[in-house]
Amino acid sequence: MTTTSLADLDRARDVALDLSGWGRPFSFYQPRNLAFWGYLALVGTGMFLFVSRVTSEYDAYGQAIALAVTSFAIYAALFWWFTQRIDRYAKLPAKLMVVAFLWGGFAATWMMAASANDAILALYAKSFGQSWALNWGAGLSAPFTEETAKGSGLLLLIALAPRQVRTAFDGLILGAFIGLGFQILEDITYAMTSASSQFGANQIGASIGTIVVRMVSGVAAHILYSAIFCAGLIYLLGRPAEPRRVGRGLLLMAIPMLLHGIWDSLAATAGRSALLLIGLLISVVVLALVIVARVYGLTVTREREILRAVMNPEEARNVISAAELDALAGNRKARKRYRKANPNRRERKRARYVLNAAYDLAHELAGARGADTDRVRFARTEVGRIRAGVPSSW
Amino acid sequence: MPDPETDNSPAIEAPRFEPDVGWVPADERLFGVDRRTIAPTLAVFALAIVMSVVLPVINAKVPYDDIVRAGDALQLQGDVTFVPEAGWGITSGVRVGNAPLSGEYPATATVEHAAVKFSVHTAPFDGDANKLLDQIETTSEALNRGRGVHVAGAHTTIVTDQGKQGATARVIGPHTGGVIAAFVFDGRGVEAVATGPSDAGADPTGAVFGMIRSISHPGEGKR
Repeated sequence: MTTTSLADLDRARDVALDLSGWGRPFSFYQPRNLAFWGYLALVGTGMFLFVSRVTSEYDAYGQAIALAVTSFAIYAALFWWFTQRIDRYAKLPAKLMVVAFLWGGFAATWMMAASANDAILALYAKSFGQSWALNWGAGLSAPFTEETAKGSGLLLLIALAPRQVRTAFDGLILGAFIGLGFQILEDITYAMTSASSQFGANQIGASIGTIVVRMVSGVAAHILYSAIFCAGLIYLLGRPAEPRRVGRGLLLMAIPMLLHGIWDSLAATAGRSALLLIGLLISVVVLALVIVARVYGLTVTREREILRAVMNPEEARNVISAAELDALAGNRKARKRYRKANPNRRERKRARYVLNAAYDLAHELAGARGADTDRVRFARTEVGRIRAGVPSSW
Repeated sequence: MPDPETDNSPAIEAPRFEPDVGWVPADERLFGVDRRTIAPTLAVFALAIVMSVVLPVINAKVPYDDIVRAGDALQLQGDVTFVPEAGWGITSGVRVGNAPLSGEYPATATVEHAAVKFSVHTAPFDGDANKLLDQIETTSEALNRGRGVHVAGAHTTIVTDQGKQGATARVIGPHTGGVIAAFVFDGRGVEAVATGPSDAGADPTGAVFGMIRSISHPGEGKR
């Protein structure tokens, strides 16, 4: 049996923090970074195009625009909350998520994919006929233009935050935020188009259907596609905490393109059968959710290893127990098992709070780069206080 | 597993120094810029240029060659059809009997000849032809704020070959003129707009009015 000293565990923690970049601050303003200027130019142009469109149409379709913006803002907030929640291990800075969201919302949509889609659809119509373009045009243009436009944002994010974006799971989370931005701005645009479809009359009636359909279908659309694509891009490129795996990377980048293509071709595939269309629609959504759950499971392993390495010395110093460490670095089932091991509801509730305090301690340790700062010491006392059932004096 | 009683090495007190986010190593600077950020930025810019400039330019260079033959008719949503002028080019919309696989015809069809463009759009509408034309006028005024192409002049009546009565008016804009017509068939509105250069002359006028008069809806003929 090999024995590991506390010094070894501390060194392993330093290595894990160094490799993962967890807890490092991120600053967007980097004038000596070309990616900063590139990002500003492309997002700024996209934002200008979007604002120009909204302001030019606001007088005509103001009701529908207000409804769409309000509805999708609430929708975005829900997805934002969910995506931040699943990033529970080596968390990324919130500022980086905002940067990702804005890329998806303005650069990827308005600056890149919108004009490319229009051009490719028109070229398809010229080459293969209008009917063919209506059937297959969207399915054979959007997957390539939109996934690459969104995914290219991750290249800039890596250049902007090379010390923070280190694992495929980081790619998954940032990809989800890029996709969220894309989805929300695209949905608002679709709602505006619907508002104009009935000559500007019955705007709310015309756009509400689009809003509902986009919300329901959005569960397994851009957020999911970009998350998988960007996880694949990290595998393809390789990062300090994620060895390069070209085959896996290419496969993960191809899957969302395929899903996107199938999704956009559903109407043509189902033909005139509404029942078949609904069946295919549900099948694709279920398939996409199963795939993203697998990719989450694949990528989150590294994050759990990092969290375990950061918290191992705390377990060795008896700040947390082995069971708590297993729950912290485990999946939802492990956390549930840990809570259920307690005899009554009060104890189970306390166990949940202890875990939350231990996550806080892990984040403080990451922010302090493993050092024993006042904040870290305080976070440690919080774990002990909650375990002892002492009320907070703050 | 270490024994905390015997192995009591303390954790480090202060974080290890890390340079600021904006710091660039001296051997990675190119005119002050971090050279490691050049390649990814240029790659993304190249992609953006291909998508937003190159593809639209290629598209603009490739002409439409789907030319209307005598006897062709285009179909839109809600079984609305019209007969485009032979020799004009179809830039959007499909012929009767050539529906997409979903069975749903598009809501808009457009044909062009030289600089003259004729477009038909259909959607549900509650009201008569004059109300539809008023609605189109209101929307176009709100969109253009008097600057772009907008409806001008009084409404006049137009009757299709099928005998359906509609409303029509002139449209004008900077160096642009044309005509707009509106019909409502059983709760389905149809808007037909023809625009072209102000100095296009009278040549296309006959063809345009011919196409407007050819607009039909199956329910209408049975009455």
